[in-house]
Amino acid sequence: MDHFQSRNSTIAQISKGLNLTKSLFVSSILIGESHTGKKSFIRSLFGDLPQVDAADTELLKESLERFDALVIFNFEKIPDPASLPLEEKRIIATANKMPHLKSIDELFAFIYTMPPLRERPEDIPLLQEHFLHEACDTLELDPKAFSLKDFPADLSDNTRSLRRGIYYTLVSKSMDKAQIMQTLFDYFLTHLEGKNGYKETLEIYEKPLIEAGLKRYGSQLKLSEILGINRNTLRKKIHEHGID
Amino acid sequence: MNTVSIDFQPFIEYDSNPFLLFDPQGKIVYLNNSAEILLGYVDKKTLFALAMEYAPQSYGFRTAAVSLRYDTFHFFSIMVGYENEELLGLRLYNAPRIKPARHIEKSTLTPTDINLLLEAAITLFKSMHNRPVSLLTDPDLPEVKVDQNRFSKLLRKCFEAFRASNKVEIELKMLLGEHLIVNGKKTSIAQLAMQANGRYAGTDREIREIAEGCNIRALLGENSIRLEIPLLN
Repeated sequence: MDHFQSRNSTIAQISKGLNLTKSLFVSSILIGESHTGKKSFIRSLFGDLPQVDAADTELLKESLERFDALVIFNFEKIPDPASLPLEEKRIIATANKMPHLKSIDELFAFIYTMPPLRERPEDIPLLQEHFLHEACDTLELDPKAFSLKDFPADLSDNTRSLRRGIYYTLVSKSMDKAQIMQTLFDYFLTHLEGKNGYKETLEIYEKPLIEAGLKRYGSQLKLSEILGINRNTLRKKIHEHGID
Repeated sequence: MNTVSIDFQPFIEYDSNPFLLFDPQGKIVYLNNSAEILLGYVDKKTLFALAMEYAPQSYGFRTAAVSLRYDTFHFFSIMVGYENEELLGLRLYNAPRIKPARHIEKSTLTPTDINLLLEAAITLFKSMHNRPVSLLTDPDLPEVKVDQNRFSKLLRKCFEAFRASNKVEIELKMLLGEHLIVNGKKTSIAQLAMQANGRYAGTDREIREIAEGCNIRALLGENSIRLEIPLLN
């Protein structure tokens, strides 16, 4: 995510604080869970400063020699911050966790905490909308054909899981029969084994069929008619597949 | 010289040493300007109890060398006296504030609008703790030469001490009439005062150390932190 937008009040405060000290020799760090948008946020504010990922040790050393002020992403990946001339520089950094708590406290004047997505409900539709357009663009689909209500918000890994959820849902909603069969073909090709393969893989077809049928028709009686099977058979299958 | 006709009251009124007169019930009958300020930091019952404790056994005056601290006030001696049963007088003598001449290497410092850093520190504090903060500042304060990073860190540490306070009141002002001698030159002082209903004291030592590195005097009270910032330019 290379652009950053938020309606969250804490992020607005952080933005204000970073902007106030933008022209000053003040080192600040933004700490938070992974995939909360720290990198995009800092890029949007400090795009004019040289930027380096701490995982690239050689580039980091070289940048510290060349510049008086720089942005360091993934600060937690610096194995020994005390060994680098960080104190003489103005550093704007991001970190996923705080392994060097003491050195972070010593080096940085201002230590900000990025709230995770689960604490920013106002940002979720904003991000979903963005990811939906991005995914539709990639998959050559019309975003107007979809509603955000159709996309469950998976916040377990912040923006990463949210974005992944959008792609998965979009793919599943736009597949036709041939694509579904191709998907199943690929799955069986790698997973079919053992001595009871037919019965074991039948669940892949039967369970979503019955669940979707129950959701659409509401009653077992109606569904058994639609499926053209005996009511007792349907009830047995519902029990077998653990359908609530 | 006949002193009977001289009115001594204005001399007491404007003395920087606090002076109070109590009636036998502990009610204040008179207090001078300094005592009025002192009463913002210590209650009158404490001062009356002090006067009673050190009062001479019979009519007269008694001076005692006692070290007393009330917030940032420090007294090294008191005088208690009475000439009748109606009035008990207490005078507290300010301990001298030691402000030795200093040498500060100014070439490493940057002229800074400290209001800006203060606002950034308040913003950080609010983003972390969501506590109400009131700020009374002097917008005409001149730019001050400071180590911007270290000073900002000092502000963060000071604010963190109030992370559980109901409300933090902040005041930034010039200390009128007070100065330091820095590099042989008279230098004015600004005071940043933070006050709340309580605060954490776990980082007091660190605050003092960072303040010292910034050439700032830190006065740490039970509910307050005051930073005396030399206005280097």
